[in-house]
Amino acid sequence: MSTYALEVENLVKVYRGRRSLFGPRSEPVRAVDGLSFQVPRGAIFGLLGPNGAGKTTLLKILATLRAPTSGQARIGGIDVVAQPLGVRRHICMVLQETAVELFLSVRDNFLTFAKFHGLDRQVAAKRAAEAIALFDLGAEAERKVQDLSGGYKRRVQVAKVFMVHTPVLFLDEFSTGMDPILKRAVMDSLRKEAARGRTIVLTTQILSEAEELCDDILILDKGRQIARGDLNALKLLTQSVSEIVITFDELPQGIAPAIAALQPWQSKIAGSTVELVLKTEEAQALEAVSALAKMGRVLRVEIGGASLEDIFVELTKKN
Amino acid sequence: MSAISAILYREGKIRATNMIFVFWDFFYPLCYLLVFGVSMSAALGAPVSIPGVNYNSFFLAGVLGMASFGIASNSSWSFFMDRDNGIFYEMLTYPMSRAEYLLGKVAFNLFIAVSQALITLGLGAWLLGIRLRLDFLPLLFVTVIVGTAGWFFFYTIFALRIRRNDVFNGVTSVLYFVFLLASSMFYPIDPLPRGLRTVALCNPITWEVDVLRYATIGYGHAPKLALEAAAFTVFAAICFAIAVRGLHKE
Repeated sequence: MSTYALEVENLVKVYRGRRSLFGPRSEPVRAVDGLSFQVPRGAIFGLLGPNGAGKTTLLKILATLRAPTSGQARIGGIDVVAQPLGVRRHICMVLQETAVELFLSVRDNFLTFAKFHGLDRQVAAKRAAEAIALFDLGAEAERKVQDLSGGYKRRVQVAKVFMVHTPVLFLDEFSTGMDPILKRAVMDSLRKEAARGRTIVLTTQILSEAEELCDDILILDKGRQIARGDLNALKLLTQSVSEIVITFDELPQGIAPAIAALQPWQSKIAGSTVELVLKTEEAQALEAVSALAKMGRVLRVEIGGASLEDIFVELTKKN
Repeated sequence: MSAISAILYREGKIRATNMIFVFWDFFYPLCYLLVFGVSMSAALGAPVSIPGVNYNSFFLAGVLGMASFGIASNSSWSFFMDRDNGIFYEMLTYPMSRAEYLLGKVAFNLFIAVSQALITLGLGAWLLGIRLRLDFLPLLFVTVIVGTAGWFFFYTIFALRIRRNDVFNGVTSVLYFVFLLASSMFYPIDPLPRGLRTVALCNPITWEVDVLRYATIGYGHAPKLALEAAAFTVFAAICFAIAVRGLHKE
């Protein structure tokens, strides 16, 4: 058995150009362009990238929904092209679309899902009840899913994956449409699943989510890897970014030109609070804070390193 | 096998949640026969080119053919809806092969088709006094099964290829119009104008309905029917191959 939950080698996916009715075929698109990486068992692995970076295509290849143009991918040592059925027995997926059985009740959605995954009736009923409780769906359990709001449909979709114990779980933008309380509960559940040895691969546009959840992050752009590592390793790639927040008791006169003179990467003045991101060494950032602080009475100062969002923006801009 | 039973379970659950679905699934051809067939029979009498056969007896095969076509059309619509809301793609990540997925879907359609045929034949013959060829019943059920499977694979091709709801609805409407009306379903094709008759002769529904007509009331010429049965089987096999290919591309 492979020590890795996921192994990808030189993976390429090229979509043929579309032919318009009277015009020539458009250029082919390299959605995934020579990716190679491995993910250890039990990791929470984040795939980040701007729209069109190739995240969803990569997940679709790993979940056997798309065939790669070249290269190899294995889930638990099983090749996704040679043994797709074997791979499907190891995985569970939450798609970007709200994929639910619209004509069935919430409970029947769970029972049907369980049936596909080979759970016997008693186990299915027990796990359905657990999923309903975990996702606070008790009041909606017997309602048809087509009558529920988008947020509840999403709950039903995500709740299903906690009913089965497949070794690998793919989540494509799983938190879309979830309220913050539910999102937190789901994130806690995902951490517990990972602690039990389940490997979780997720894509997200919400970087704070990845920052909080992921042990390991791969940043993609135009189908290629542009950075890989845990949050600390990624921060090393952009050490020269500092986030500064200063709150004055009253906004000092002339603060705007003073900030402009520092040539910040980003800046914002809201009320008596100044927020700026400087691309500079730490010592110079401290000097800047000191200079600004002298302009008025300071109530609060915060200096932080780069957030995942800063890293993401910088790396994807560079690329 | 468990994957196919899971598909059957799912389709059955979806149907069972709506009593209109259940009624329509089982009684639609019988209703058609009792309303359209009886009205046509009363208004126009027997088809002119088939002496000794009343319209109800003639139309029984047509309504069974229409039912197999309708089941496939409805099934492809549900296929399309599944893809539209994403559950289709999610299901493709479940532990089952693409072939199991298609077989499960077709098995459920066959269950509905055979149930419909039993109800239509039993009640239709009883209520309308249609004299069935009971010795041909095995042929009739084989034709219902192959016919329903063939049309299911045919429609699956369109459901997989067409991405837009409006285009899909337009295409299925055109298919309904052409396949049902340019065929031997509602009337004998011999008296039709030459162009229309040629289209009807090339129409797989005509092939299916002709065999069904032979199997229900014994009307038809065996050598021509053998050719039509073979042609329909080839048509169904080609549709199956294209549908599986399309599903692998998904």
